Amino acid sequence: MNEATTRRSVFAALLVLLPAALLLATAAGSVPLPLRSVLGSLGSAVGIGSAGASPLGSSGETILWSVRLPRVLLAVLVGGGLAVVGAALQSVFRNPMADAGLLGVGSGAALGAVLAANLGWTAQVFLALPLMAFAGALAAVGAVYVLAHASGRPTLHGLLLTGLAVAALASAGTSVVLAATEEFRVRTVLFWLAGGLEGRSWTHLRLAAAFILTGTALLLLLSRPLDLLSLGEEEAAALGLPVHRARLTILALASLIAGAATAVAGSVPFVGLVAPHALRPLVGPLGRRLLPAAFLGGALLVVVADLGSRTFSDRVDLPLGALTAFVGAPYFLLALRATEGRP
Amino acid sequence: MNAAEPLVEAREICVKRGRSEVLHDVSLSLHAGEAVALVGPNAAGKSTLVRSLAGLLPTTRGRVLVRGRPLREWERGALARAVALVTSEEEAPATLTVEDRVALGRYPHSGPFRPFTAEDRAAVAQALRQTSIERLARRALGTLSAGERQLATLARGLAQEPQALLLDEPSAHLDVGHQLRLFQVLDEVRAHGVAVLAVIHDLQRAAAWAGRMVLVAGGRVAAEGTPHAVLAGEAAARAFEVAIRGHAVPGLAHPLYSFDEA
Repeated sequence: MNEATTRRSVFAALLVLLPAALLLATAAGSVPLPLRSVLGSLGSAVGIGSAGASPLGSSGETILWSVRLPRVLLAVLVGGGLAVVGAALQSVFRNPMADAGLLGVGSGAALGAVLAANLGWTAQVFLALPLMAFAGALAAVGAVYVLAHASGRPTLHGLLLTGLAVAALASAGTSVVLAATEEFRVRTVLFWLAGGLEGRSWTHLRLAAAFILTGTALLLLLSRPLDLLSLGEEEAAALGLPVHRARLTILALASLIAGAATAVAGSVPFVGLVAPHALRPLVGPLGRRLLPAAFLGGALLVVVADLGSRTFSDRVDLPLGALTAFVGAPYFLLALRATEGRP
Repeated sequence: MNAAEPLVEAREICVKRGRSEVLHDVSLSLHAGEAVALVGPNAAGKSTLVRSLAGLLPTTRGRVLVRGRPLREWERGALARAVALVTSEEEAPATLTVEDRVALGRYPHSGPFRPFTAEDRAAVAQALRQTSIERLARRALGTLSAGERQLATLARGLAQEPQALLLDEPSAHLDVGHQLRLFQVLDEVRAHGVAVLAVIHDLQRAAAWAGRMVLVAGGRVAAEGTPHAVLAGEAAARAFEVAIRGHAVPGLAHPLYSFDEA
């Protein structure tokens, strides 16, 4: 099988599996909805099929449209967005272990979320937690940018070290604020920190979609500069790429996407590492193929993981973030052992 | 363009890397269709000089001119269409195919957004053909030998269709057969008027290939001229700290060199 056929089969498989997983995830849950009725309800909403009485009944309709659909679509956005960010950052940093954590996104978001809880905003203001988490993520990335530029143009290495330092500071801040927060408020934010999509609404979806879809589209447009960056700074510059500007633009877009995904879903680790890593050998490292494949693969991963987290057990809560880590970490250990460390 | 005007010219340039000055008042010119070998001991400043000529390192004094125009007046893309740099660094992703690697050499022509044209595809195909790696086109770089990857990097430089080709140790990873092929390729593009400047460690190879040799030592041009004049000179012996002797061998176009402790 040549690589063009492989590529086409991979995309075809993803394009079949993702809608199938979506449908399954909307139907399955603590209140199972019949697949046929779900299809009927979705169909009549877009004008296909009969517009008669809903086969789901009114409670079924509510579950489908107010609970399940926003949740699974958010899983698509979060998974897709995080995987695209991982793929892009791995090209920029030329390291298969790179993800948004390097820029301080996760730690900044956590600090923002914890602050919102400490101030009591999470109970009073709608969307206070995701908005503060988003603001925290962007503030952390902004701090990395400013600190790294304090002594001229930073090298890749300088950016990385600054990112690590800012992330460590933000985590320290999170601990301090958490310790000073009343216990009943800590609980909301702990659930968020563990990563999950429980109870997310269409508003969360719209907030995430605005940044994740726009950011992903722009990254896709920049896939050629991204490819050049993966060749190393020197070769990229010799081919006429304004390396510094291209790198910062891509990092800014990645931060927006990762910030929005983390804001609505909390920490969902390993999606940004596993999806690009699994797909790169199949579709190649070029951005115009890897980014769309990573989006679909990451989306599939999180839709399935979220379905698993809410159907795993009636008695045990298995947070989405814990589940992706339980699956992702061993995968990654095995995959890294099997191959050398180059992307 | 004036035929006598150099394609690439350094005029008394000083270049710093970090805090220390690596090149001191170096002047060098490269004309269309020329084959110039840049030789010198380790850490002499050869790689720095090549990168300065490609516009990758700023000069602290003096200037680099490409086709008579100072580097800073060149737009990045236009410069990358005029001057290509090929090094022996291996940083490209292991999963990248040879063909896609070479196609990235069209970036100076296509820019970030313009779709690939028939002209782009033809340039890539020709670069693959010239370097005799067509059969590897679909292979991932990680599955190739170091020498094959080096040829793929050269093909990327050829796909740029530059007027001047600058190479930093292009034969570093190549066995003798691939080395021969590489210098044949360089002669082919030279025949089309491309100026070629290569950093070469193998003095025998450099002498056999180059029309002109530039010896760099301690960040300065220590000698310049025909390879035989440079290698026979006092400066080469001093720079490499060896005694260099040329031996004429009947039936060989070039003398064979022997190197002994000074």
